[in-house]
Amino acid sequence: MPFAGNSLTLNEAPPGFSDEQLAKARAGDTAALASLIQAHQRSVYSLALRLLGSRELAEDLTQEVFMQLNGNLKSIASNTHLLFWLRKVTSNRAIDQLRRRSRIEMTPLDNEILFTSGADGSDPLLQRHLQQLLLELSPPARAVLLLRYQEDLDPVDIAQTLEMPINTVKSHLKRSLEILRQRTPDPERSRCEDKSI
Amino acid sequence: MSEDLESQLRAALTPVAPRAEFTQRLIARVTADKGTEPNARGIRRRSPRATAWWLSASMAASLLIAVGVQHYRQERREAERGLEARREVIEALRMTSQKLNLAYEVIKDQSSLPAEDKPGV
Repeated sequence: MPFAGNSLTLNEAPPGFSDEQLAKARAGDTAALASLIQAHQRSVYSLALRLLGSRELAEDLTQEVFMQLNGNLKSIASNTHLLFWLRKVTSNRAIDQLRRRSRIEMTPLDNEILFTSGADGSDPLLQRHLQQLLLELSPPARAVLLLRYQEDLDPVDIAQTLEMPINTVKSHLKRSLEILRQRTPDPERSRCEDKSI
Repeated sequence: MSEDLESQLRAALTPVAPRAEFTQRLIARVTADKGTEPNARGIRRRSPRATAWWLSASMAASLLIAVGVQHYRQERREAERGLEARREVIEALRMTSQKLNLAYEVIKDQSSLPAEDKPGV
């Protein structure tokens, strides 16, 4: 499904960061490493934030991921590989953290996570509602949905990123969308109900 | 509704930027952490001082284990020697007892014979 949003696909390098800069960062160029962080931090942080549901935890995880990347930079072959690596490590670390957390502990609804773009004439209240529903999904289902709709990856890429069978990815997507659909008010129906009042 | 929900989801999940101060802190931390960056498995490398400490601690532990093992083997050897000596003493006592029994039987047989049958009479 084509997406006109501003996120990146698996084979797309982020604007402002090239393979040459990656080579420089690998060679130990601090400025290139800083550019790499600036180019990719948004994606890593957003994934962490929406998976963990807390700004503090997301910042800690983002820092851990980039520290780990710094140690593994020599094994990163290209920008495509870099994007894949960042998404994989961020998702897996976040899922591990969520699994370790007590079941009793509630996911905090951080205000920042309920960020609404208000772009494209979309409904800000509906966006907030969807973000809240997302936090109620299981960690793997949440990761699948985020990689699909935030990172715009197709199911094959999601399966590779999360090391999950493709059919599991598809069933997570189907089930999660069904849950969201059931628990999301239909604007058309609401409008009809409004008119009938 | 399905496509509408998916487009709403995409709009709701637009990537958000972290705080500017966090970005600065992150860049400073990661670029300064060249010496202690984590390795491929996410485990931090130890500083040379920590490595030296671990090395001496492991050498001391190895030495202690070696001394302990040596001590245990010596104790065991001594216990085995003790058991062997005990076995030898028991065997000697058994043999002495057999000989005494034999001598007793001979004396008993001689004393029960008539006087003319006794040797030397």
